[in-house]
Amino acid sequence: MTVTRGRDVAGALRLDVDAVVVGTGAGGAAMLRELARAGLSCAALEEGGHHAPVDFTQREDEMFPLLFQEGGGRATSDLAIRVLQGRGVGGSTVHNTNLCKRTPPEILDLWARRHHVTGMGVRDLEPAFRTIEQDLSVSQIPDGQVNPNNEALRRGATALGWKNAALSHNRVGCQASGFCELGCAYDAKQNAVKVLIPQAVAAGARVFSDAKVDRVTTSNGRATGVAGHLLDDRGRPKAALDVRAKVVVLSASAVGSAWLARRSGLPDPHAQAGRSLRMHPGAVVAGRFRDPVHGHKGIPQSWECTEWLSFEEGSPRRTWIVPAFAHPIGTASTLPGFGRDHMARMRDYNRLAVLTAMLHDETSGVVEAEDTRPVLHYRMIEDDRAALARGLVACARILFAAGAIEVTFPAIPPVTVRSARELDALDTSFVRPHGTPLSAVHPMGTLRMGDDPRTSVVSSRGEHHQVKGLFVADGSLFPTSLGGPPQISIYAFALHLAKHVIASARG
Amino acid sequence: MKLPRRRVVKAAVAAGLVAAGGVVAVVRTRGYEAPGRALVAVSPWQYAVLQHVARRFCAPDRDGVPDADAIDVAGFCDRWIAEMSPVTRKDLLGLLGYVEHVLPVTCGLGRRFTALPVEAQDRALSALERSSVDLLRGGFQGLKALIFLGYYRDPRTWSIAGYDGPLVRRPARGWWP
Ligand SMILES: Cc1cc2nc3c(=O)[nH]c(=O)nc-3n(C[C@H](O)[C@H](O)[C@H](O)COP(=O)(O)OP(=O)(O)OC[C@H]3O[C@@H](n4cnc5c(N)ncnc54)[C@H](O)[C@@H]3O)c2cc1C
Ligand code: SF4
Repeated sequence: MTVTRGRDVAGALRLDVDAVVVGTGAGGAAMLRELARAGLSCAALEEGGHHAPVDFTQREDEMFPLLFQEGGGRATSDLAIRVLQGRGVGGSTVHNTNLCKRTPPEILDLWARRHHVTGMGVRDLEPAFRTIEQDLSVSQIPDGQVNPNNEALRRGATALGWKNAALSHNRVGCQASGFCELGCAYDAKQNAVKVLIPQAVAAGARVFSDAKVDRVTTSNGRATGVAGHLLDDRGRPKAALDVRAKVVVLSASAVGSAWLARRSGLPDPHAQAGRSLRMHPGAVVAGRFRDPVHGHKGIPQSWECTEWLSFEEGSPRRTWIVPAFAHPIGTASTLPGFGRDHMARMRDYNRLAVLTAMLHDETSGVVEAEDTRPVLHYRMIEDDRAALARGLVACARILFAAGAIEVTFPAIPPVTVRSARELDALDTSFVRPHGTPLSAVHPMGTLRMGDDPRTSVVSSRGEHHQVKGLFVADGSLFPTSLGGPPQISIYAFALHLAKHVIASARG
Repeated sequence: MKLPRRRVVKAAVAAGLVAAGGVVAVVRTRGYEAPGRALVAVSPWQYAVLQHVARRFCAPDRDGVPDADAIDVAGFCDRWIAEMSPVTRKDLLGLLGYVEHVLPVTCGLGRRFTALPVEAQDRALSALERSSVDLLRGGFQGLKALIFLGYYRDPRTWSIAGYDGPLVRRPARGWWP
């Protein structure tokens, strides 16, 4: 596969193509392949670098700056929620944990009923889901690869009689090293960079890394291309980038595409661009066990509990429960306090099982464009806070049912509980932004789709309501939160919408 | 109207000053020991603050554990800060100024942070962790993440957690000393 590294290009880069795709994550890579296979001349521009498995050292301090936006330090503007997103060829699929689930039918139905989305029903999307699951070798994680942290979730949820199940993933040849969130040194992930980008290149697409798009260019209500900069090896602008194209596809993620849309000053008569940001914010609960758990070893997430997940709007049960073990730096940042007490807690590292409750959120955040970077505003509404608190208490119950001798909520100050009975009277007001560390790995919904321009940014065909020839194919499209892992939806939506992009490029 | 993040930080810092009885803390840049190394992103006084905070955050719980100085946490932070975006760097350096000059005042402690005894430093940092100003709590979490990144990146600290480290490039004798 050939990816041209922008840092190695001498001088400016000027291209004239049928289609340009901004970003090479789940949405961008899938779209690029379809456009190339349709015979369009196309290019993808990716602001991050192009990395190979040999670059993945399994060290947090080296992989955060290499693979994550803002070196892993991206956060909401009030610093309450850490937002992890990928940067580099393959986008967030390079370091994600490979869980694969289709869009819940209830969510597709909600979008059709309430958000004027058409042609995106279960049956419409079936071929795209089937194709992408085949392409990425999606399969159920075998029983023998359920590690003790996931086993604790299964044991606890089963003991409580709560719904739980094995998850599916896109790995082949997995060595169960446990380092998924730092990139796979064994090339076992069947993701955008391993599968789709090479197929796109084989079909004639050109892919440029270190190529940051700063704005979409338009003329007479039609997209005409993009402009930006090639970056040097430290991410600093080094030369101009100017691509003229018949169609432009934004696949820079729900944050990056919204930033571009707002920064480019695209017409937005109903002030929709960047709004409706959702992100599945979550917090963790740690259970201490008598015997070693070694939660960092093996496939990080293979089991789920969906007892507390309903897709009904306003439901008090809106959390998806999965394991969430981290390596030492991530664990140290999350465990409460500092100094000697903190170090004493770190000594329990191998005896901890850690679960997260991810919120199927109804809070509506905003992505704004400030100078050279996006600014994320997100103030969690009370219903969401309460739903998250219920989910975290449920995590604690699972841990006790699995045999934990003590459960800690890493709140400020920390809350430690020694029996499930204590949970009945637990004051959960600490579950709030700044009350407990929150993080989010699924930003979505900022350029949402729908056929009513007053409540959406793009049509159900993925095309901008005001700018012809400008399409979106990434997590921005979702009109609401998904309540589960988004990558398969994003890949599949890109495949499904590609025909409209191709038709537009062909005029 | 939404205030940009930097302005909110400044407003919070100013609010801290007012709460402290109108004491205006002038950021002093003299009276700090030269760090004995070339710094890439921070000034000597900012380096001193990082060093003192790191010593408290990574205080060993028993003998034989390397402390923050042995791991050179402050030096790592200096290099890391150099690679941050200008906006984030400015916020972080502003927070170091707050810790050094304003935080002790808001806690009723007479001297700048780096001149306080360790127990007082711990009190001040706990107060920051539990500040009623959300943004300062957020700043504390950011600083904590940076310091622990600098500390737990080093294989000499991994035995604390019983963490056996990366599988790739693992030395034959393992990662621990
Ligand atoms: C730690 C972690 C674990 C996850 N685990 C799972 C999981 O198990 N299952 C699951 O379904 N999902 C998971 N996700 C989420 C999933 O990976 C993302 O939702 C998905 O990859 C988003 O696809 P996207 O196309 O919207 O954006 P991305 O995949 O994030 O790709 C966007 C790309 O655009 C680039 N870009 C941004 N701005 C510009 C610009 N201006 N110019 C050029 N390029 C730009 C970015 O650098 C990036 O490479 C996880 C995410 C994280 C962070
Ligand atoms: S657990 Fe499997 S997919 Fe994850 S990094 Fe290890 S080998 Fe790769």
